[in-house]
This record gives sequence, structure tokens and C-alpha cells, in this order.
Amino acid sequence: MKFRVERDVLAEAVAWTARSLPVRPPVAVLAGLLLTADENGLALSGFDYEVSARAEVSADIAAEGRALVSGRLLADICKSLPAKPVDISIDGTKVNLVCGSARFSLLTLPVEDYPTLPEMPSRSGAVPADVFAHAVAQVAVAAGRDDTLPILTGIRIEIDGDTVTLAATDRYRLAVREFTWKPEQQGMSAFALVPAKTLADTAKSMTGEVELALSSGASGEGLVGLTSSGRRTTSRLLEGDFPKYRSLLPSESLSYATVATAPFHEAVRRVSLVAERNTPVRLSFSAGELVLEAGSGDEASASEALEAQLDGDDIAIAFNPTYLLDGLGALDSSHVRLAFTTSTKPAIITPTTAEGGGDGTEYRHLLMPVRLSG
Amino acid sequence: MSLSGVWTDVVGQASAVDVLASAVAGEPGAMTHAWLITGPPGSGRSVAARAFAAALQCAAGGCGDCRECHTVLGGTHADVEVLSTELLSIGVKETRELVRRAALSPAGGRWQVIVAEDADRLTDQAANALLKAIEEPPPKTVWILCAPAIEDVLPTIRSRCRSIHLVTPSTAAVAAVLVRRDGMDENTARVAALASQGHIGRARRLARDPDARSRRADVLALPRKVGDVGSCLRAAERLIEAVKADVAATAEVTDAAERESLKAALGIGTGAKQPPGAAAALKELEKRQKTRATRSQRDGLDRALVDLVAFYRDVLAVQLGSGVDLVNEAEAPAVQDVATASTPEVTLRRIEAVLACRTALETNAAPLLAVEAMTLGLR
Repeated sequence: MKFRVERDVLAEAVAWTARSLPVRPPVAVLAGLLLTADENGLALSGFDYEVSARAEVSADIAAEGRALVSGRLLADICKSLPAKPVDISIDGTKVNLVCGSARFSLLTLPVEDYPTLPEMPSRSGAVPADVFAHAVAQVAVAAGRDDTLPILTGIRIEIDGDTVTLAATDRYRLAVREFTWKPEQQGMSAFALVPAKTLADTAKSMTGEVELALSSGASGEGLVGLTSSGRRTTSRLLEGDFPKYRSLLPSESLSYATVATAPFHEAVRRVSLVAERNTPVRLSFSAGELVLEAGSGDEASASEALEAQLDGDDIAIAFNPTYLLDGLGALDSSHVRLAFTTSTKPAIITPTTAEGGGDGTEYRHLLMPVRLSG
Repeated sequence: MSLSGVWTDVVGQASAVDVLASAVAGEPGAMTHAWLITGPPGSGRSVAARAFAAALQCAAGGCGDCRECHTVLGGTHADVEVLSTELLSIGVKETRELVRRAALSPAGGRWQVIVAEDADRLTDQAANALLKAIEEPPPKTVWILCAPAIEDVLPTIRSRCRSIHLVTPSTAAVAAVLVRRDGMDENTARVAALASQGHIGRARRLARDPDARSRRADVLALPRKVGDVGSCLRAAERLIEAVKADVAATAEVTDAAERESLKAALGIGTGAKQPPGAAAALKELEKRQKTRATRSQRDGLDRALVDLVAFYRDVLAVQLGSGVDLVNEAEAPAVQDVATASTPEVTLRRIEAVLACRTALETNAAPLLAVEAMTLGLR
């Protein structure tokens, strides 16, 4: 293996790939970064058994080959190299790296012990990276973090023609986001359950256009692939049946309240300061006003009143403050609309504007209320 | 059924290999989602489990040469998770992580295999945490649990697994492996195989390492050293020392090798500054090696006691004139001496003393005190 590559190109690609290497590798070879030089250029790959990352860059390949070197060390070296072309070659059990007058010699790890990298599934469609990252972030807040129920730690991706639906729930709340994209084939439909943390981290790091690949067929089954500008990530999917969440979304509600998002969010945060662990924040909606309360008479308590529009019957309802804050924080609109049936049935948070509306199904965040005693 | 590919190292277990190989071949009804491999120590439970895992991942059903086979046997395959412990038990925290792993789909598209090498060391809570995952794993997930005996795992786990029992490999089979794989001459191989009583790993060490043989001889010299109280106490101390030396000799080699490979992977020692997280990773390895040392001393002492039991078994065999093969052929004169100097009743009482010491050690008795009590009982 022997090639020459631009310093900035290499440093950026190495830094991106090394980011996904496990901090505490279960086996030593996983701390390695695989360099593959072939006719397509140079590919850098990392793998932690669950997520694989691969960056492709163009390089002058003098001899093809593969080598496995310590990823963190290579990243540190590349960061500090002078701005000159980098020559990398393999010499026995060493990798030599020459950049200007700087020379490094790195030990290689046994390439034959390195696990087979998962194959990239075939492309399903594309969506702008910022839209995708924002959608994933809005849904990921509702995903569970409890490993005893693995399926709830995932984000469900459903593709139906040119609509993509993302959904996540941890049994106490449910977030559903829809967006349109450019599918590879019209009328395709597919679904997958991707670990939420992986999807959120990966979506954040992508730029330009994201290509989403869901597995079909034998090779790369059970995988999701995300590609943007020469960088691709694959992740293993979670298996199991995701709850049938569509039936949880009530079809109609008895009352609707519209509140400005930012003041609401701040007020909840203030009032919840006195809410002890596992105690709710109570919301009372009446015409033109919303009163928030937390704490009890025996202990510290707080209340705050906000302006609100109410359409329908007065209602008093209580929520876990953290979940309510997560839900409000996931919105990007100036106002929020809350839809209620009764104080013991789930409420739905949707984005809206000062003028009202908000019947859209672009983003829906369903919250289970806390039952008020007495 | 010829033993080829990954099955070569599963020694003397033709019927178990038959069952596993037909499961790999996809014969109807032969495959299931959870297996429990049981067998006495040294019969190759974890070797069988890994071979089975490799065969499941290999496109050719366990050729032993391809990349998939190589990485499974080397412990780096992405779809094979091995849970083994160097501690005395496996807690609920480690198993929770496994439950999550079990819910993932395989990266390579074949099987996701989870091997729990020490299922007998699962605490009850840990085993309970696994129940759901073992009963109904996703379609591509396979569990392989290993334990010395079927009674060592909870009935609720047992009932969810298909059981494969490994037998103690015959002396001839063990000796054949030593000759074939390690190039031992037949006599050394046979003596080592006999002395190890079917424990393949132990047989190999005895055959290859003269120091290990001499340390074992030290242990077996004990029965002739116990006389008055003073000599008993000295003998006990020597036994503990011998075990410590034996364990330290093996640990030194593996510890250093592990440290070096981790250092290379983290990029330490090639001139650059220590990368972040490296110190923590090294410290973690050291901690793991230390707990392993504690466990292997316990295991080592237990092995020495089993050797002693085998010695008295030989004595009993000679006393009763049963004519079976001696386990300790090399120590035949010593066996004769002890046999003529005592009666079968005494021998049985001595065996009981050794077994009582094993039980005491299992319940966390101080090793030196327990062994002293035993040597006094051997008089």
C-alpha cells in the first residue's frame, strides 16, 4: 500500500472516522482505523460492532492495499501535520507517514483479525441534511433510555412513497414527525427501527444531502445506511415490534389551547423548580388564561399565569415537568397548540402560529398526563 | 461424521458435534434460538460454543479458514458476543447490556450469536433479566449458554434452551490431540492425558511445560509428607505456595501480551503523547487482570485438590486390586507406598478430607486455614 493525499482532506476524514471509534474497545483491533487504498481512492473505516463509519477521499494511489493502525494516534498526528501533501506507505509491520520534513512510523494491528465491515444497503432516497437532522432531533427526545426494553430505545422510520414518518416513544410520551423526500422509486414502502442515539448523533454530523438506505434483500439485511458527501455510516437495526402508535393518536379533541412557546417553556422551567422528584406541574386552562402550579402547600410551591387562548371547555391537567419541557423544546414554532380530551387522556402538542391553525400532522408530540389525586 | 474445519478442536464429542453441525446445515427442526452446552470442566464447552458460532457465521458451514471463521475464533467478529467472566459471578448490569445486544439485527446478515461462557455464574437476578430475551429473541438471534451441569442454571433458563451434553473426552482422544496439534511424542501425551483426567487445556500444559509437571509432582508429594502436626502445617504452606507459583507463571505471560496488544491498539509507545482515554483503558485492563489473578488462584488451588483426590483414587484402586488404569502413572511408586501403608477405610476418609476442603474454599474460607485443616485430616 502506498499513496499520497492532501493534508486537510486526510485530517478531516480521519477526524470524522476516528470520532466513531469506541473509547474503550472490547477487543484491541476495534481501536484501529482501517485504511483501504484501491482504484476508487482511499477509504477510512471504523467499526464498533454496532455502527460502522466510512469516509472516502481521493488520493493518488501508487500501490493498493490495506492497513490497520491505531485510530486515535493517527487522528492526533493528522491534526498536527504541516500543510503539505502526505505520503503513506506500508513497510512490513509498520506504516510510514511522511509530510514535508515530518516522518512518522506507526505500528500496524493485525488486519486479518479485523471484523468484516457490514455492506451498505442499497439507496432508498434522499433528503436535505438539515431537514433530516432537525426531524430526528425532534423525535429522539421521546425515545426511551432503558435498555431493558430495547425496542423503545429506537426511532421507527416508515417510508411510504414520498413521505417519511419518524416515531419514538418511551411509553409516557410519543413523538411523530413527517416530512417529504425524494424516494429512489415511486410508491416504495419500507420500515426500520434504528437505535435513537446513533441516528441522532449521525444525523447531526451530516451536511448537504443525506441519502438513506434501508436494507432489502439478503446482503446488508438488518442495517440502515446514511450517506452524505462521501461519508457513510451504517448501523444495526433493533428487532422487534414497535407499538402500534397510530391508534394512540386521538382522532378528535374536546378543547384546544394556544400558548406562545417561549414564555410557556420558561414558565414551566421556573415553576418546576419547586416540583419534587416525580411530582407534576399542574396546568389550568380557562378562557384567556393558563395558570401553572407546582409543589404543595406543605412544602415550597410556585404558580405563574400566562396568556392563552382556549377553544372549548376549561380543563385542569398535570404533566411530568421534564417531559413537558422536552416536548416544548422540540418545537420550532412561535406558538404551541395543546389538544385535550379529558384530564386523564393524553394531550397532543403541535406547532402553530399566533393566528391558530395547527391541524397539520407534520409534528405531533403526545404526552401522558399525571393523574391528579383528590 | 468427519471432524473438519472449526470442529477439529472439539475433541471426543462426536455426538454433540453431529447435532450442532446438522443445526448449522439447516436441517428441518435442527436449529433453535437457545442452546445450553453442558459438560465437565475441560471438556471444551467454550471451544464447542465458539466452533458452533463460527460455523453459523461461515458461508461454508465452518470451513475454519475464511475470514468469518477466523474472526469468530479470534473473538473479534461483529455478530458474536462472548460473555465470560473472570470474577466469581455475573451481575445484572452486564446482562442488561446483553439484552440490548440481543435485540439488534446481525451486521453481517447471518446470525447474531451471544455466547455466555459461564452461565453457571449468573446471579439469580441476572438470569431473570435474561429470561425474556432468551425465550423470544428476534428471529436472527441465537443464544449459546455454557455451564458444567444442567442443574447449574435456573430451571426457568434451562427450560428455554435445547441442551447439548459434552462427555469427558477419553484419554486416547486427548492424547491424540496432543500428538496431532502440539507435536508431542506419544508417551508424554498419554501420561499428560491420563494425569489431566480429560481436561484438554490442562493436559496440554502438562505435556508442554516441564515446570507445570514438576509443580504437579510437588502437589502429589504431599501425601507422603504429612506426619506430625508441624509437617502438616508445612505441607499446607508449600501447597499454597506451589499453586501461587503455578498461577503466577501463566498470568505473567498472558498479562504482558494483553498489555502490549492494547498499547499497540491505543497507539502508546510510538513516540506520541498518550492519547486521551488510554490511561483509563490500561487501568481497566490492570484491574481486570488483578481480579482474574484472584479467581485463577482459587481455580488453581481447586485443581491441586482435584489432583490429590485423583491420587487417593489411585491408592484406593491399588488397595482394592481393581486393575483399572492409574491416573498418576508417573507417581506409581508413591501410590504403592501409600497403599501398603494404609487401609481402604483410611483412604476413603482422606478423600473425604480433601473434598471437605474444596467445599470450605467454595464458601470463601481462608485458603491456608482450609488447607491446613485438610492436611491434618490426611494423617
